[in-house]
Amino acid sequence: MLTARRRVMTVTAAILGGSLLLTSCGGSDGGSSSDAKTLKLWHYEGPDSAMGVAWNEAIKEFKAKHPGVEVKFEEKGFDQIQKTAPMILNSSDTPDLMEYNKGNATAGALSKQGLLTDLTAEVTKRGWDKKLSAGVRTTSVYDTNGVMGSGKWYGVPNYAEYTMVFYNKDLFKKYGIAEPKTFDELTAAMGAFVKKGVTPLANAGAEYMAQQYLYQLALSRADRSWVDKYELYKGKTDFHDAAWTYGATTFADWVKKGYISKKSTGTKAEDAGVSFIQGKAPILFSGSWWYGRFQTEAKFDWDSSLWPGSDLTLGSGGNLWVVPKNAKNKDLAYDFIDITMSKKIQNLLGNKGGIPVAADTSAITDPKSKKLISDFNALSQKDGLAFYPDWPVTGFYDVLVSETQKLMTGSEKPDGYLDAVQQAYDKGAPKQ
Amino acid sequence: MTVTVERGARAVGKHQDAGPRRPRTRDSYALFLLPGILAFTAIIIVPFLMNTGVSFTDWQGIGSPKWTGLANYRELMDDSEFWASFRHSLFMVVAMAAVPTVTGLVLAAALFDYIGKHFGSKWAAVLRACFYLPQVLPIAVAGIVWSWILAPDNGSLNELLKAVGLGSWQQDWLGDPGIALYSVMGVMVWVQIGFPLVVFMAGLQRVDPQLYEAAELDGAGWWRRFWHITLPQIRPEIYVVLTWCTIAALKVFGAVYVLTKGGPGGATDVPSYFSFSTFFEKTQVGYGAAISTVLTVIILALSLVFLKLQTRAEEGDRT
Amino acid sequence: MTAALRRYPVLIALCIAALFMVVPFLIVAVNAVKSPAEYSRNGPLSLPDGLYLDGLKDFWQRVDYGQKLVNSVLISGSVAVLAAILSVLNAYAIGIGRIRGRTWVLAFFVLANMLPQEALVYPIYYLSKQVGLYDTRLSVVIVFTVIQAAFGTYLLSSVLGQFPREIIEAARIDGANKWQVLWRIVVPVSRPTIGVLLVFFFIWTWNEFLLPLVMLISNDNQTVSVALGVLQGQRLMDATMTNAAALLGVLPAVVFFLVFQRTLTRGIAVGAVK
Repeated sequence: MLTARRRVMTVTAAILGGSLLLTSCGGSDGGSSSDAKTLKLWHYEGPDSAMGVAWNEAIKEFKAKHPGVEVKFEEKGFDQIQKTAPMILNSSDTPDLMEYNKGNATAGALSKQGLLTDLTAEVTKRGWDKKLSAGVRTTSVYDTNGVMGSGKWYGVPNYAEYTMVFYNKDLFKKYGIAEPKTFDELTAAMGAFVKKGVTPLANAGAEYMAQQYLYQLALSRADRSWVDKYELYKGKTDFHDAAWTYGATTFADWVKKGYISKKSTGTKAEDAGVSFIQGKAPILFSGSWWYGRFQTEAKFDWDSSLWPGSDLTLGSGGNLWVVPKNAKNKDLAYDFIDITMSKKIQNLLGNKGGIPVAADTSAITDPKSKKLISDFNALSQKDGLAFYPDWPVTGFYDVLVSETQKLMTGSEKPDGYLDAVQQAYDKGAPKQ
Repeated sequence: MTVTVERGARAVGKHQDAGPRRPRTRDSYALFLLPGILAFTAIIIVPFLMNTGVSFTDWQGIGSPKWTGLANYRELMDDSEFWASFRHSLFMVVAMAAVPTVTGLVLAAALFDYIGKHFGSKWAAVLRACFYLPQVLPIAVAGIVWSWILAPDNGSLNELLKAVGLGSWQQDWLGDPGIALYSVMGVMVWVQIGFPLVVFMAGLQRVDPQLYEAAELDGAGWWRRFWHITLPQIRPEIYVVLTWCTIAALKVFGAVYVLTKGGPGGATDVPSYFSFSTFFEKTQVGYGAAISTVLTVIILALSLVFLKLQTRAEEGDRT
Repeated sequence: MTAALRRYPVLIALCIAALFMVVPFLIVAVNAVKSPAEYSRNGPLSLPDGLYLDGLKDFWQRVDYGQKLVNSVLISGSVAVLAAILSVLNAYAIGIGRIRGRTWVLAFFVLANMLPQEALVYPIYYLSKQVGLYDTRLSVVIVFTVIQAAFGTYLLSSVLGQFPREIIEAARIDGANKWQVLWRIVVPVSRPTIGVLLVFFFIWTWNEFLLPLVMLISNDNQTVSVALGVLQGQRLMDATMTNAAALLGVLPAVVFFLVFQRTLTRGIAVGAVK
């Protein structure tokens, strides 16, 4: 019995001693390195993603251009940054440069609280603004109320994103259905698939995909001022107008007709993507973030195209590089951003499956990447980026998911859906 | 083993002189509470008071809070979704407290009394480890795996039903608003069973085996022994497990979030999800603080009832 | 049918039930050794074609998983031991000392568990910044010691409430003071319950994610559960890697359980003491 007790005691002592020892050297290194010798850099893109690869290359180039400067790079989790960014930026642990989500609820909120550095001077000095199109610029500038679209520059994006229709060409061939080029052809193709017993559209009712279908349908009957009213609060948003009504009714109709499976109310985006890669779902409407994965994992002939019959589609500038107000080495941060905006890094990003904002289109070699980027350029030129449906109001994402699920199961009619969404929007949107 | 304890006690007293007995003071036991009270005050009470303070403000987590008095509470009282979600909490209590406790009791007795005796303690230990394993898996990962099992097309459960010829029983387990809550309850039972099982099996160690032997000699079967000996002996553990699981059921959020995110269409919404999403997704920290204060008060009131019942039962035992 | 044969159906039924409990683990294991392409092409519930371990190696290096495991072991181990000690002290006073106002004292301690964790986040953040413990493992250890000790105090005090007074009296008569009675008599007899506490505290702290997510910012300080969060991107998740990392992350907790499982069965029946 004594040996057992002694064992417990020694283990206890070891753990306590060890923990005290390690905690003393595991703490934050507070006020060191304000001497332009280190660049503390955080982002949350995976190392195999287009951004991850490009940024690793940028780090190498930065080190070459700044001998003697140490780059302290830490890969973070998206969830951690989302939840704790305000807390971190308010402490002494803040990095010099970090990736952050774009939008009023995130970058806008931080800028409003004065936690981000105003980059306007640097942007004009280095000419970054010349490289970005109008739609991408919208998510980089925020006014004093934290609303995007106008005001000072608080972030610089390296990439962009947009949604598109992915087609499994082999499945289309197998069932003898022509690939649609117009919206009517799309509806016809979906009807043909249903007749052959295949659910045409992959969907995730428990996450963002369902609401994005609905939003896209509404967008096909909307224009730029409609988006400005909805996302930038430039006017009153009426959810019972023609566009929204069309979106909700058509979506409900599609579920009834079987274009979207009624059993997808509880599925996640991951499952929907996998069902496309498995070759079960012929069509998937989602974002460019899937592109790289489909390139590596899909073993069938596939293609993508913009949503037919609509000038607007979901999309925006990508996540932003932000420089915290309390950052110690801002000049180094600016240099790094400059490197990421250079042709070399932008071309690399494009060739790895991402959508660069300032690349040389001739330098993109992979044919699928070429298509991806040229579609984006076309969209961007006609000012077609319409952002995302859950952006205007904090917590709106949950409301949209929940209400769209009710629309899918039929427990709510489109009218009731629009009422509920209107209520939540009015409650949270700033008063015009 | 018995000799060691007595020897231990005697050894302790060997060096004390057998002088007059010091009057025993109950209050000096309170000294043992000192570290606990200090730690809890610093880590729990102070933050709780800070949280309550924040609940009277409008605050986004950064910048300065704006005093709004009882506005948050008034808004909460009108929030029908929040109060409706308490109805789902009742289902959670069944799934996380009632069913696991009862099942855990029977399992513990079966493993300890029956399997342990007839097949050896190794079998009992292995089986117990298997039943406890779900408690070790992080709930995020468990949620992902269960969503694969319960997927409507090609999910394991539906495939299994098809394979044994019960194809008509297939459901959209997590996507059908009428069934989603029961599916979540099922997963919660899977998660929770290990907890009462381990607690009860440890408690059963305390039961004097001679009681069981005497009862067997008297001809009592397994069930009679369970009801008249096992249950009364581990009454404290039963109270603790029931109370703790009920508190956990009222606070449950992680599993629901991962499986259904409160859907479909709010069919599995729980009060804690309001608290969490208000704090972190809507960053309305003031309102979130009000929600969590109200939640805590409700849980506190219920726990006090349980605790009072427990102490009264213990007093009853002593008389 | 003899009594012996009648026992086997019970064992078999229990084994089948145990198998159902373990099936999700098997699914995790199966997906942990699949390549991402295989997982996407054949779905999550298919068997793998051979073992794919490259993803795990990459992930290990990417998040310095070894460091994360060390952090988790350190934090969970410290919390388990410290919280058990705190629970023993509290439960001694409440269960055996029978101090006045027991219900209220118990409620005070159990309050630590009634508070939703998100309510603790901002206050703990501010307090830890004030004392300079923000972004340290020590802060996480302190907070969880208190939170876990709530359950320990509750369980142990309830069990000690049933402790036979005669043994305490006998020791007191022999001149032992309260401290000696606690460590020489009460603790050894309560070993199964304390064993339960150690196991639970370790595993609960191991899987905690909200407070470590908020309090541990530097990658060097992060735990396994925070590292797993890296795999959940904004819109995409890495399913096979999540499963592989989760399996790796679960192993130390399982090992801890199996090692301490023996203390759960090596107790002293109090009745036999008489």
